[in-house]
Amino acid sequence: MPKTSNYTKLRDKWVTRHQDLSKKLWTKHKESLEWLKDHSKKFAVGSAATALLLASPVKQSLNLQQAGAFQTADQIGRETFLVSDLSKMVPSEVRELTPSEEENLANVLSRDFGIGVKAEIDEKRLNRTYGLIGQEQHLSRYPGDTMATHFDSQEEANLHAREGMAPGLGAWRYFANSQSEMTEEDKLRERYYIAVPTFLAKDFNLKFAEYRDFFKYRKMILVNPENGKAIIADIGDAGPAVWTGKHLGGSPEVMHYMERVDRTPVLYFFVDDKDNNVPLGPIKLVK
Amino acid sequence: MKKGKHFYSHIIDTSSITLEIGNMKLSQEERVHLLSLTESNIHHAVLDAILSELSEDDKKKFMEHMHADNHDEIWKLLSSRINNVEERIKKAAEDLKKELSEDINKSK
Repeated sequence: MPKTSNYTKLRDKWVTRHQDLSKKLWTKHKESLEWLKDHSKKFAVGSAATALLLASPVKQSLNLQQAGAFQTADQIGRETFLVSDLSKMVPSEVRELTPSEEENLANVLSRDFGIGVKAEIDEKRLNRTYGLIGQEQHLSRYPGDTMATHFDSQEEANLHAREGMAPGLGAWRYFANSQSEMTEEDKLRERYYIAVPTFLAKDFNLKFAEYRDFFKYRKMILVNPENGKAIIADIGDAGPAVWTGKHLGGSPEVMHYMERVDRTPVLYFFVDDKDNNVPLGPIKLVK
Repeated sequence: MKKGKHFYSHIIDTSSITLEIGNMKLSQEERVHLLSLTESNIHHAVLDAILSELSEDDKKKFMEHMHADNHDEIWKLLSSRINNVEERIKKAAEDLKKELSEDINKSK
């Protein structure tokens, strides 16, 4: 494979840098490193940290199997780099994130997607920002909206009809008063809605009206940390119940785009979009 | 509890470098190679920063925990022996990231 000159320059520089760092390390800490070298030979399995420390820098290109963190990637696109970054920042267990983890993730997502991403706005936040998403059904957008009227095309129906329509309405009732009054924004709000447990937000019951207005159609960014796919969704419903073990729910369109199935992890943060400039739907990394 | 691939993964953000590499016109193989060199360079810089603060005995204890991938024990040891260990690790990584970023800009 032909090598680009940028690559060759960087590769040579970084291999040299690596050799210098390695030499310095072995000069300063020879005794303990020799001990590790001997120790590691006795065990078949060692950590990636040990392997990385004892390996020599290679000047030739690695293949994907040798590339550790990236060996499962089919394509090293920019989303793969996001996935790689997230893998270091998102805990392996699905749990509540610490404030510093939330801050780091919000900063990275803000930078990578070019929008304001926050765990908290106006001192209001959800009960968590990382959790298991569940599959929701379509919501009725106006009185009389059914599965027969819900889709703009047969193709759309083929993709998303099987989840069916929820028997009840969303948290904010209908999205529009009638089919003729339904705007494109109303349509998108249903298509890309999520259900989050607004009722678990701190002080929700004490300041019900204030919190209801805050959460109503509030935009959020959802990110699948395993493939880097992200979507701008809006809060269209409240739920799921705590006993389900799920932390939020996604419309069929949200789940399909994110390539998520029931009870799989996603990150979900508020989008700071006072001027309503961030469109609902899939969002790509900034160039 | 393991929070990432390496015991320090959760406190070091390398996304700025990976995005810079992602923006370069490189083949898949080349990108992966540069990312692996980034990881390895940072790893060596972080380990040098840590080992320089430990006694010979503690260095071996640290290596043993690292080899067993026991992140909890690593942090227990480091926190008890080195003041502001997280800050020192972050600084070592940040300094190197700055140099790597300059290298990327110069290579363009």
